[in-house]
Amino acid sequence: MQDDDILIGCLMEDSWLTLEQVAAACSVEPVWLIRHIEEGLFPHAESVAGTWRFSGASLLRARRMRQLERDFDAVPELAALVADLLEEMDTLRALTRQAVPGRDR
Amino acid sequence: MQFKDYYQTLGVARDATADEIKKAFRKLARKYHPDVSKEADAELRMQEVNEAHAVLSDPEKRAAYDQLGRGHRPGETFRPPPDWDAGFEFTGQAYSPGETADFSDFFAELFGHMGGAHAGTRHARTGFRAQGEDHHAKVLLDLEDSFTGATRQISLRAPKVDPQGRVQLETRTLNVKIPKGVHAGQVIRLAGQGAPGMGGAPAGDLLLEVQFKPHPRFRAEGRDLHRTLPVAPWEAALGAIVAVDLPQGSVKVRIPEGAQSGRQLRVRGHGIPGQPPGDLLLDLQVVLPPAKTPRARELYETMARELAFDPRAQEKD
Repeated sequence: MQDDDILIGCLMEDSWLTLEQVAAACSVEPVWLIRHIEEGLFPHAESVAGTWRFSGASLLRARRMRQLERDFDAVPELAALVADLLEEMDTLRALTRQAVPGRDR
Repeated sequence: MQFKDYYQTLGVARDATADEIKKAFRKLARKYHPDVSKEADAELRMQEVNEAHAVLSDPEKRAAYDQLGRGHRPGETFRPPPDWDAGFEFTGQAYSPGETADFSDFFAELFGHMGGAHAGTRHARTGFRAQGEDHHAKVLLDLEDSFTGATRQISLRAPKVDPQGRVQLETRTLNVKIPKGVHAGQVIRLAGQGAPGMGGAPAGDLLLEVQFKPHPRFRAEGRDLHRTLPVAPWEAALGAIVAVDLPQGSVKVRIPEGAQSGRQLRVRGHGIPGQPPGDLLLDLQVVLPPAKTPRARELYETMARELAFDPRAQEKD
């Protein structure tokens, strides 16, 4: 591997993604994100001086909520509830993996 | 290329109504949901189910597929005739190009040229300029990588529009430098590695979301590292200095006198490196030596006799 083949990325801080970046990366419309934020369904976003910024975890959250709404015709509140539960499950699974080494689920 | 029977994938009859297709899809989407499914090949099956749904839930694509697929069996070698889709207009876009990138070559060959690709070509002809979309991928790292930095090879499958306006799936391999001190949930931005722009506009960025593979001993929370530290009863009771292995090197930690199982010790600055570095959090777990030899039994019996210790004393208050 040549040294000049290696891409050096810029490390973004947790709350550094813009609304447009999250929307484009997760195939959602910016208005979809704004509507969900305004309805309190998207906790991984914060407003700084009138501009929304997002944590890295919001990428997974946006994808999950959009898929739930599309696949099951879920109302946004239900999709947000399921996303909350999945995030809680992710945390608990990480704890379980540490308590029981080698266990995946 | 093999012919795919989307009706068989969803388990519905060829004359199934839109409602029956929707119900069958939802049932399978629940069964193979990657976050909850216990099926070994859930992710792959979910992709197949999504692909079948993308075609059969869209009246235009379904009609074209029905006409094309008449007389073909699943798995049979298949090549669509040229201009097979003349007369059909595809407008439905329930699945984005990024999502359909995971679909089969069969899907890409049949429906790859619809929607966004045509729109892009049209815009380019009229002088439209638009920056390419940012793409998003997840990169799984070893915890050790955040201590040392690393170079990782990442393969991405993304749709690419050819000069005829058809979308082909292209696999790209990138060598990416992972900076030291990276932690789960952070995003590495690779400028210009997303979708190409239109009309000479710059390409989008590639956003790589960092996650760690499960580690047998450590769990990372932000920059903090958690692990269980087994200690001998005398180390906990009398206090001790013990060496604790880290993902990179080790550190000596003082166990305070009178420590108990479940107590947490924080060692500042020994988590994931950074400005500031994270902390190392040790959950103490007192492990009893087995009473397998006469001498060990004798020691336990001496303690039982001379310590007059009742671990359930508080329950009796």
